[in-house]
Amino acid sequence: MKTRSGTLHGVSVALLGFLYLPIVVVIVYSFNATRHGVAWSGFTLEWYRALLGNDLVLAAVRNTLWLAGASTLISTVLGTLLGCGLDRFRPAGRRWCGRLLQLPMVMPDIVMAVALVILFSLVRRWTGWFQLGMGTMVLAHVTLEIPFVAIVVRSRLAGFDSSLAEAAQDLGASRFQVFWWITFPLILPGILVGALLAFTLSLDDFVLSFFTTGPGASTLPIFIYSSVKRGITPEVNALSAIVIAFSIVAIVILTLLQRRWLR
Amino acid sequence: MRQAIGIWTLLLWSLCGTGRGEGRLNLFIWSEYIDPEVVAEFERQEDCRVVIDLYEDEAAMVAKLRSGGGGMYDVVVPPDHTVPGLRATGLIAPLRLENIPNLKNLRPKFRNPPFDPGNGYSVAYQWGTVGIYVRTSVVKAGASSWGVLFDPGLQPSKFALIDNPRDLIGAALNYRGHGLNSVDLGQLKEARDLIVAAKERCVGFDGSVGGKNKVLSRVADAAIVYSGEAARGMAEDPDTAFFIPKEGSQIWLDNLAVLAGAPHRDLAERFINFLLDPEIGARISNFTQCASPNLASTPFLKPDDLKNPVIYPPVEVMDRLEFLKDPGPRRKLYDELWTQIKTR
Amino acid sequence: MADCRTTAEQAEAGRHRCAVAIGAPAVLWLTVFFLIPLGMAAVASLLTAGGYGGIEPPVTAANYLRIAGQGTFGFAPVYPLILGRSLLLGLVTTVLCLAAGLPLAFWIARLPGMFKTIGLTLVVIPFWTNLLIRTYAWQILLSPEGWVTGVARWIGLVDPGAALYPGMFAVSLCMLCDFLPFMVLPLYVSVEKLDASLVEAAADLGANRWNVFRHAIVPQIRSGLAAGVTLVFLPATGQFVIPDLLGGGKTALLGNLIQQQFGPSMDWPFGSAIAMVTLAVVLLGLWVASLMGGKQGGAELL
Repeated sequence: MKTRSGTLHGVSVALLGFLYLPIVVVIVYSFNATRHGVAWSGFTLEWYRALLGNDLVLAAVRNTLWLAGASTLISTVLGTLLGCGLDRFRPAGRRWCGRLLQLPMVMPDIVMAVALVILFSLVRRWTGWFQLGMGTMVLAHVTLEIPFVAIVVRSRLAGFDSSLAEAAQDLGASRFQVFWWITFPLILPGILVGALLAFTLSLDDFVLSFFTTGPGASTLPIFIYSSVKRGITPEVNALSAIVIAFSIVAIVILTLLQRRWLR
Repeated sequence: MRQAIGIWTLLLWSLCGTGRGEGRLNLFIWSEYIDPEVVAEFERQEDCRVVIDLYEDEAAMVAKLRSGGGGMYDVVVPPDHTVPGLRATGLIAPLRLENIPNLKNLRPKFRNPPFDPGNGYSVAYQWGTVGIYVRTSVVKAGASSWGVLFDPGLQPSKFALIDNPRDLIGAALNYRGHGLNSVDLGQLKEARDLIVAAKERCVGFDGSVGGKNKVLSRVADAAIVYSGEAARGMAEDPDTAFFIPKEGSQIWLDNLAVLAGAPHRDLAERFINFLLDPEIGARISNFTQCASPNLASTPFLKPDDLKNPVIYPPVEVMDRLEFLKDPGPRRKLYDELWTQIKTR
Repeated sequence: MADCRTTAEQAEAGRHRCAVAIGAPAVLWLTVFFLIPLGMAAVASLLTAGGYGGIEPPVTAANYLRIAGQGTFGFAPVYPLILGRSLLLGLVTTVLCLAAGLPLAFWIARLPGMFKTIGLTLVVIPFWTNLLIRTYAWQILLSPEGWVTGVARWIGLVDPGAALYPGMFAVSLCMLCDFLPFMVLPLYVSVEKLDASLVEAAADLGANRWNVFRHAIVPQIRSGLAAGVTLVFLPATGQFVIPDLLGGGKTALLGNLIQQQFGPSMDWPFGSAIAMVTLAVVLLGLWVASLMGGKQGGAELL
C-alpha cells in the first residue's frame, strides 16, 4: 500500500510538472538575448523594453481588455437572467434550453466562428450592418460566454430552497423586491464567478476573434499568433510571460474569493 | 433602471462607432512591408492616424476582404494577379488619377500594366522575385534548382515551403518545366504530388517573412522567400544566400489600391500619392529591400542596393521570370488543389 | 379550497411567465447569433461557390460528395482521411488524458485539507492561461535546441540536429498538455464524492485491483468520466490552432479544413459542409455521453 501511494505521488507530481513545462519555458526564454532561435545567449530585459515601445502591442492590450470587459458585462446580465429563470421554465422548455446552452460549450469554436462569418456577411450585404471590428467581436464573444454564466448562476441557485423568497412574496413583496433583496444577494458570488469565467474565456479566445476581427481590432492572441507565424518570437515570449503572470494572479485571487463566498 | 438603460445605450453607441473615426486611415498590407518612419511622417503631415493590419499571403488578404466587405479598409496592397478578381467582385474602387499626380514618377513599363489597363484601379508599389533562400554552409554551393526543395537527393535535411498557393504551385510547375499559369489538370496533379511528397519531408509552411526567420534561426536551411526578405536576411547573416532557380520563377508587382467602400477615400488617395513621392518611394525600397518601380526615386536609393543582383536581377535572370495571371473561372482548380495539398 | 388552488396555480403561471420574460433576452440572443447562423451554414452547405468566392444558387449535394472523396481531380479520399484522422486524434487525446487524469484526480482528492486546494489550483492555473501561449511554448520545447529535444537526444531517441516538431507526435503531446485540466477537473468532482466503503467492501470480498476499479469505482465516477470525455474529445476533434502551429501542415484536422475553406481557398459552401459534418460528430458525441453518464452530460463541470 505504501509503495502504491508513493508511485501515485511520483506520477502526479510528474504530471503537474508536465503541465507547467510550457509555462516555465516561455518565462525563461523571455529573458534570452538571442534574436533568432532558442539557443541561450545570456540574460536580457531588452524584449520587455521593446514591448513597452510597441504601439501595436499596446493597442492590442487595449482592444483585448475592452472586448473582454464589454462582452463580460453583456453576457453576465443576460446569462444571470437566464440562469435565474431556467429552473422555472416548463419541463420541455427547460430541456431544450439546457441543450441550447450545452452545445456552444463543447462545440469546436471554429464551427461557431464560420457560422457567424456567414451571418455577418449576408446581413451586411442587405443592410450594411455588422462591419467587422470590435462590434462583431463583442457579439461573438457574448454568444460564447452566455451559456457559461447561465450554468454557473443556475447551479448556485440550485443550492437554495425557495421558501425564503416565497415567504417574502406572501408578505406582500413585489417580484422585483424579492429578486433584489433576497435572490440577488444569494447568487451574487455565482454571478461574480460567472463573470470572471466569461472574462477569462474572452481573454483566452483566439478563433472567434480571428474570424470576426476588423481594421485595427487586433487582440493579444491575434498578435501572438501572427507573430509566431512570422517567426518573431522574443517579444512574444515577453508578452506571453506578462499574460501568464496576470492570469496566475487572477486565479489566485479568484480561488481566495471562492473559498470565502462559496462556503 | 435608468442607469442600466444608460449603460446599454452607451454600449450600443460605442459598438456602432468603432472603426469609422475621421482622420484615420486603415491600411491592410504585407508584414514588414512599409517603413514605420514613412507612416509616422504621413501621420504628421496629414494630422491623422494610420491603423495597420498585416497579412502574410495574398490569398488570406483576399479572403478577409471577401468576408469583411469593401468597407473594411482604405488602402490595400494586392499583387498583380489578384487585381482583376478584386475588381470583378467590386471590392476595389476606380482611382481618381487627378488626385495622384505622382503617378508620373513611375517607370513607364510599370504604368498601364496588362492586368489593369490605364491604372484604373491600382498603381505600382514594389516589385521583386520569388526564389530560394539558403544557409550557404549547409546547402552545397552551385545549387541552382527548385530540386533543393523537391528532390530528396538535393534537399538539405530541414527546409520550409511557402504558405502561399500560387507561389508554391508555381514553383512546382516550374520545376517540372511547365508554365507558372498552367490550368492543365495533368500538370497541376503532377505539381500537387510533388508538393505533397515535399511536405512529408519539410519543417512546415511559412510566409515569406516566416521562411526568412526560420533560416536565420536555423530551424530550416532552405526556404522559398521573396527577394526583399532575402536581401534583408543576407544583410543580417552573411552565411545566407538567395538564388533564382534555373528552371524559371516568378516576378511580381505589388500595387496600391483603394477599397470600394473605403471610409476615407480622399485620405487614401493622398496616401497613395504620398508613397509615390520620389524621396518617400526610395525610403520605402531602402527599408523593404524590394525593387522600386519609381524612376524618380533612383537618385535617393542606396547605391549598393541598385547594384545588388538579389534586388535587381541581371537581364539573363529576368528572361527566366514570368508574371502570375488571374486564372479567371479556373481559379477554383487552384483552390481545390491547395486544399488537397494542405490537408493530405 | 378550490379557490386556494386557483391562486396557487395562478401564482405558478405568473412565476412561469416571469421566468420566461427574464430568460427571453438570452435565449433570443443565442437563437440569433448561434442557432440561425448554424442554420445558415446548413443552407450554405447545399449551395455552390462563386467564381471568386461567395455563395451562389444552384442547389447541389456536390459539397457532401466532395467530402466523400469525389472532386475535380477525380476520386481521392482526402477528406474521409481527415475525418478519420480527427476522430483518431480526438480518441488518442482522450485516452491519454484519461490515463493521466485519473491518477491526478485521485491524488488531489486524497490530499489533506489545505493541500487539496493548492493541488486543485495548480491544475486550474494552466486551464486559465492562454491556450495559444501554451501551444506556442511547445514549439520552443520541441525545436532542435529545445529542452525536450535535448533530453530525447541524450536518451538517444532522436538524431542530433533533428527536431521533434512538426508532426503527429508534437500535436498529440501538446493536445495532452492543453486538454488534461479539462479531464482532471470533472473527474475530481466525482472522485471526491466517491464512497470509499464500497471500494473497501469489494477489496475485502477478494476482488482484484482491476475488478475493484471496474465494478466499485467506475460506476461511481461515471458522470465525471462522461463530462471529462466530452470536454476533451469534442473540442480536440475540431482543434485548429494546435495542428496549425505544431503540425507543420502535415496533420490537418476538420478545424484546419474549415479554416482553409473560409480562408485562402474561399469555398464557403464546402467549408460549411465540413462544419456540418463536425457538428454531426459533436451531436453524436453528446448523445453517447448522455447514455454513458446519465442526465448530467458535459455541463456538470462548472
